[in-house]
Amino acid sequence: MPAGSLQLLAQGAIVSLLLAASAIVGGTLLAIVLAVMAFSRLAAVRAGYRVYVYVVRGTPLLVLALLLFYALPALDLRTGPYIAGTLVLIIYTAALFAEVFRGGVLAIPRPQWESARSLGLPPLAMFRKVVAPLVTRYTLPPYVNVCVMTVKASSVLSIISVWELTLAAREIIERTFAVFTVLGLAAAFYFVMCFGIDRLGRRLERHLALRGFAGERA
Amino acid sequence: MIEIRGLQKAFGAVGVLRGIDLDIADGEVVALIGRSGCGKTTLLRCINFLETYEAGEIRLDGQPLWYRTGADGVRRRMGDAEARRMRQQMGIVFQQYNLFPHMTVLDNVVLGPRFSQGVSALEAEALGRRLLARVGLEGKMSAYPAQLSGGQQQRVAIARALAMRPKVLLLDEITSALDPELVGEVEDVIRSLLSDRIMLVLVTHAVGFAREIAHRIAYIADGAIAELGKPAEVLDRPKDPGLKEFLRRVRS
Repeated sequence: MPAGSLQLLAQGAIVSLLLAASAIVGGTLLAIVLAVMAFSRLAAVRAGYRVYVYVVRGTPLLVLALLLFYALPALDLRTGPYIAGTLVLIIYTAALFAEVFRGGVLAIPRPQWESARSLGLPPLAMFRKVVAPLVTRYTLPPYVNVCVMTVKASSVLSIISVWELTLAAREIIERTFAVFTVLGLAAAFYFVMCFGIDRLGRRLERHLALRGFAGERA
Repeated sequence: MIEIRGLQKAFGAVGVLRGIDLDIADGEVVALIGRSGCGKTTLLRCINFLETYEAGEIRLDGQPLWYRTGADGVRRRMGDAEARRMRQQMGIVFQQYNLFPHMTVLDNVVLGPRFSQGVSALEAEALGRRLLARVGLEGKMSAYPAQLSGGQQQRVAIARALAMRPKVLLLDEITSALDPELVGEVEDVIRSLLSDRIMLVLVTHAVGFAREIAHRIAYIADGAIAELGKPAEVLDRPKDPGLKEFLRRVRS
């Protein structure tokens, strides 16, 4: 394997991480809006939520990526693969995060709602002070799950010529034919990124659990 | 004062409240007793609209609560913002305390005044500290609910309800979930409220405690008030056969 390959892979890994990070941030924000929609009083809004989740979750990420990659220029939006790729990842992870959050809201015990209602809390305070903190604690493990998946899912974007870790690996392989070494290294990079997110998630879990949440270790 | 007229509530086809009429005067303490499933807790929860009801009226100091009948004669729920304002005039304490587990004791108490009533952070905190001292928990302000005993949690819940400066406090079997040795500390807090002349409506199985603090006791059976009167009348000279049977059971 020629010198410089490792550096190229590392650069690819950084791009992958940036893609995943933007997808996680953007996807989380979109998912919060979606999850609020899921509990709307208006049936049409709830239906909108379901359609979004079913369509996005029921379509392969690869197909979604190709679709957006060809659709955006057709709509006269000259965006290039990076914007299209980031958008696809955001749209995709938002559907998964939204279901995670919806599960968290459903897990809030009825008495907690009743306490909040009996205090006459306005909707925003109810969300900020009661719903969001509880949902965060309930959903951290599945949330981290989706984050890890997002890092790996970003490899799909190599198909629409987003230069990231997987595409970097393929380029090196084409020049060197060192298939197993290069793919092994790429896998190791992915593993390190995912492992890091896992550790971060655990730390956050401990940090939040220490605040007297039921389930705290004595 | 609270005026309840013709309150009716059904869960599906099953009538739970079948025409309740009850007035509660300022500073009055009314205890609701009856067998489990008789509707006493449902009545309490209807008063602050944790349960909807199909017919009847509830007024607090003359203001009609929860439903409005329009010019077209159609009965509609009152708007959310108005319902919130009304709720702030009443406090409820639940059997299972229901404190917010992710907040300190002080934050639990401060939450309502701060975010529902828009009291400044400083003022709300001072109020919270005063109320927690009053229920004997000045040393536990920064503890979390999971670190407290049931009796302590219930005293926090009482302070949380009082923090809204309610006109009426609704108490839903607040000592039923407690270990016997913790019941006294919660009952003491309730006794200390009597001098405030706040309206108290309590659902309870503790007939002795009801006799001690209530001005009137309502015996509820099958979703209706079967007997209503001073504790001595209702408990010592019961007329309703169901009530006689009920009292025999709780005392044995």
